[in-house]
Amino acid sequence: MAAPHPSVSRDPLEPQPLIEGVHTDKTINDSLLAHVWRGAGKGWFALFSVALAMLGLLVIAISWTLYKGIGAWGNNIPVGWAFGIINFVWWIGIGHAGTLISAILLLFQQKWRTSINRFAEAMTLFAVICALLFPLLHTGRPWFAIYWLMPYPSTNGIWPQFKSPLTWDVFAVSTYFTISLLFWFLGLVPDLAALRDSSKSKTKRMVYGLLAMGWRGSGRHWAEYKWAYVLLAGLSTPLVLSVHTIVSFDFATSVIPGWHTTIFPPYFVAGAVFSGFAMVMTWMVPARHFLGLKHVVTMKHLENMNKIMLVTGMMVSYGYIMEHFIAWYSGDPYEYAQFFKTRWGGPMSGIFYLMVFCNVVTPQIFWFKKARTSIPVMWIASIFINVGMWCERFNIVITSLHQDFIPSKFENYSPTWVDITLFIGTIGLFSTLFLLFLKFIPAVAVTEVKELRHELAHDPTADPVGETH
Amino acid sequence: MSDGHEESTFVARRFIVAEFASPQALLDGTTKMRHGGYKSLDTHTPFPIHGIEEALGLKRAKIPAIVLGGAIIGACIAYSMIYFMNVIDWPLNIGNRPPHGPPANIPITFELAVLLGGGSAFMGFFALAKLPQPYHPVFESEQFSRASIDAFFLSVELPAGADGDRAISDVKAAGAIATELVTESER
Repeated sequence: MAAPHPSVSRDPLEPQPLIEGVHTDKTINDSLLAHVWRGAGKGWFALFSVALAMLGLLVIAISWTLYKGIGAWGNNIPVGWAFGIINFVWWIGIGHAGTLISAILLLFQQKWRTSINRFAEAMTLFAVICALLFPLLHTGRPWFAIYWLMPYPSTNGIWPQFKSPLTWDVFAVSTYFTISLLFWFLGLVPDLAALRDSSKSKTKRMVYGLLAMGWRGSGRHWAEYKWAYVLLAGLSTPLVLSVHTIVSFDFATSVIPGWHTTIFPPYFVAGAVFSGFAMVMTWMVPARHFLGLKHVVTMKHLENMNKIMLVTGMMVSYGYIMEHFIAWYSGDPYEYAQFFKTRWGGPMSGIFYLMVFCNVVTPQIFWFKKARTSIPVMWIASIFINVGMWCERFNIVITSLHQDFIPSKFENYSPTWVDITLFIGTIGLFSTLFLLFLKFIPAVAVTEVKELRHELAHDPTADPVGETH
Repeated sequence: MSDGHEESTFVARRFIVAEFASPQALLDGTTKMRHGGYKSLDTHTPFPIHGIEEALGLKRAKIPAIVLGGAIIGACIAYSMIYFMNVIDWPLNIGNRPPHGPPANIPITFELAVLLGGGSAFMGFFALAKLPQPYHPVFESEQFSRASIDAFFLSVELPAGADGDRAISDVKAAGAIATELVTESER
């Protein structure tokens, strides 16, 4: 009888598997839940205290902003949008990889998504929370914001202006957060039941039991569940494209040179996926090591993520080239000056060159398999890409605004300590939430990995590397 | 209500909880039991099993229709809300543009269609599944906690007065490797 599993010595030409080693449902269950049951180690507490300290900075910065008003920020005229909007777009973009992995790769039946979707979806939620802070604080008095953000029947009888992309943004981002949360929780329910049933202490059993809502793996439930899950994926796919498209409309529908371009929607979406994958990589590389997930998050997964970063990096680069081409081809002197004078040689041009280095040059190393499969290389590259994508939003928001039409209107910009502390603070908020997630919830979708293992083991026609051709 | 009244209305439901060795055995066993005339069957597995709908003889899933309805309602609410607020209740004249500009209404119409469609997928699922439901008689089984981990179960609800032993021998003949008769506990 031929052995169904590959022999010990692997052919070097044979592709990397999606699940390393020989497993049963029980060993998958125990190995993926182990990090939840294990007490938090010193490393976790060390990271968590750093994150909490940064969260403290966020509290200080928010309090000061609310006490002083927006004057505490570095915004001026003409740079009316600055760090707040850069950070908003940056965080929203980071969230997009989660939805891409969980929804779009599900619809394309890419089996490698299974081990990383839970992780990336959690990141989506936390990144969107960080993003939402900025426009709210930017209103100056967030407790009044509901009157002009939401169609709320207030006594002064004024409704939001629905022809404004800023109003579209309110609906897009809040829908995105809600749907991502529902999708994430729906995927989590069977895993919460597994946690309930494998917990040793009564309290944990109670807590996870309450969250699992009495899930009993019923076949009648699964029949509807599969539909609910795939339809949420189907709805999330156009949703994620619409969210960053609408974010780009905030800029593209204006007349500012450098904003007024039709390439913005696809270019923003590609940039969002690019930065999102980079952020997933930045966290996944240490997490798979410390949480013992190397058998389900294999080199195959990391390499695929690097390939996506290469592709989306190329799309972003194409966007940069096209912006410059159109600035020249349109014959508009203001557009031309924005790209060829301000960005290339203006006072903020350092950020432009840093962006080109991080976003255009860095991903090119992923043409080489050696770089794609080297942990240190991919980790450092992912940090460069995170930095580069922040610089891209800096270029779009600040560089475009600080020199627009008339030189007498030009004004320089520098952030205040509040701007910088707020940004560091949101990194603290994100890290705190993420570390809590890694501590209390399985970082890998256990149920889906079990299903995948059965699919790979029992279906002789299934492609062992899990790619559809 | 007196205690005696409650006792008289409570009829404990009885279930056979049977474990099968593999997903395929569970599918075959479920089909056999269904053809053998058992009506209230359910399977309990750690992950969805391909073909379980056919084995249990389920009708088409209801979720797609619910989601379609939710999405259509969402789109209608959004468009009529925008129309009412910006055209009827408080038209804003900006640059003499018409108060009703259909292209500008598309993004929010789409977003609310997704919000209500997705929301109805989620709420619709929990409503159809009658979850949250903290207690179910199958949880009385000692082995049942493995249903979310690595075991494949079939549960058969016995009609009142039915012979438990006969059902157990039937489910064993259908391929079960372990069986247990559980009785609903009174709450």
